[in-house]
Amino acid sequence: MNGMKTSMKFWAAAIGLVFIVSACGGDSASELRGYQAPRAKTSAGVVVTEAISNAPFELKAADGELLVVYFGYTHCPDICPTTLVAVKNAKKKIGELAANVDLAMITVDPNRDTAEILPKYLSSFTDKFHALIPANQNELRTAEEAFDTTSSVTEVDGEIEVVHGGTCYIVDSTGKIVDEWPFGMDAESMAHDLKILLQQTREANT
Amino acid sequence: MKTIQRTAIAALAVISMTGLAACGSDNDAADTTIATTDTTPATPNITVSGQWARTSPMATDMGAAYMTINSDADDELLGAKVDMSIAMMTQVHETIMDDDGAMKMQEVEKVDIKAGTPTELKPGGYHVMLMQLKAPLETGSTISVTLTFAKAGDVVVEVPVQEEAP
Repeated sequence: MNGMKTSMKFWAAAIGLVFIVSACGGDSASELRGYQAPRAKTSAGVVVTEAISNAPFELKAADGELLVVYFGYTHCPDICPTTLVAVKNAKKKIGELAANVDLAMITVDPNRDTAEILPKYLSSFTDKFHALIPANQNELRTAEEAFDTTSSVTEVDGEIEVVHGGTCYIVDSTGKIVDEWPFGMDAESMAHDLKILLQQTREANT
Repeated sequence: MKTIQRTAIAALAVISMTGLAACGSDNDAADTTIATTDTTPATPNITVSGQWARTSPMATDMGAAYMTINSDADDELLGAKVDMSIAMMTQVHETIMDDDGAMKMQEVEKVDIKAGTPTELKPGGYHVMLMQLKAPLETGSTISVTLTFAKAGDVVVEVPVQEEAP
């Protein structure tokens, strides 16, 4: 069942990508380029331990802000830095609005990503972030379930193999997952979505 | 765009010199005979363009390099290496996404290079993975990466370090 659900999600994301392409040449300036689940999920009430404070952090944005949630690991040379640089550049593209965009990276490799490493790693990409290190497997799995993603860390022939989702999730101040950016979405499209979502956030607050 | 070319000229020169030496000076028809019977394929002419290595984030000792490889003959990329003063281990990896959108990386034995078809090493696909970096890869610096091909042998590429693809 779960396989079917996630597989459908993948195709929905693929279709979303097709829309991205058509959106580039089209007129949908107000349409999001990421993927929106037909029934939006929520991460309200879901907490992961924050590396610096060692306090639980609830996976939702502060009032008037958006939170970009990402599951990754620092030994990832390809997918994670590609995505985090894109987020960094998307924030650059939206100027002052970037002050309202927060980033939470949850490491799926808590054994290697210590409280010393993860915050330093994230500071290479942004100065507004939450470095989250699950205190135990349950904390990680609960967070992953909220976003319908999975990960694994296994040792294969003496080398550590990590499997993780490559998606960025955009969460609003109620914990609702309002947008998803599959791996490969460029900074321009991310900036486009952030502008629309921040506008909606402002309208909702007035 | 920086382009490092390893031409086959040197190799061809060696082959033709050997050929000339072998046929000696006593046979006038030797040149044409050699040209028509020598079926050994020429060393592929490998061209690399658009190469870049990602600035390594703080607190990590992993790096990745990307590039586009062109060849005028079929070949295979068998591996890559950098000086141990840069990284302890270098491998060619591929990022794979399964049906559920989960990503993982794995080392590849070889990458097929098809004549006339550019082979891209790019984020989310093939990449040269640098492990146990001795020092962070800093924007603006350059590293030498040696690519090993089945037929063309070693090709050294000067790779600039930058945040994003050129």
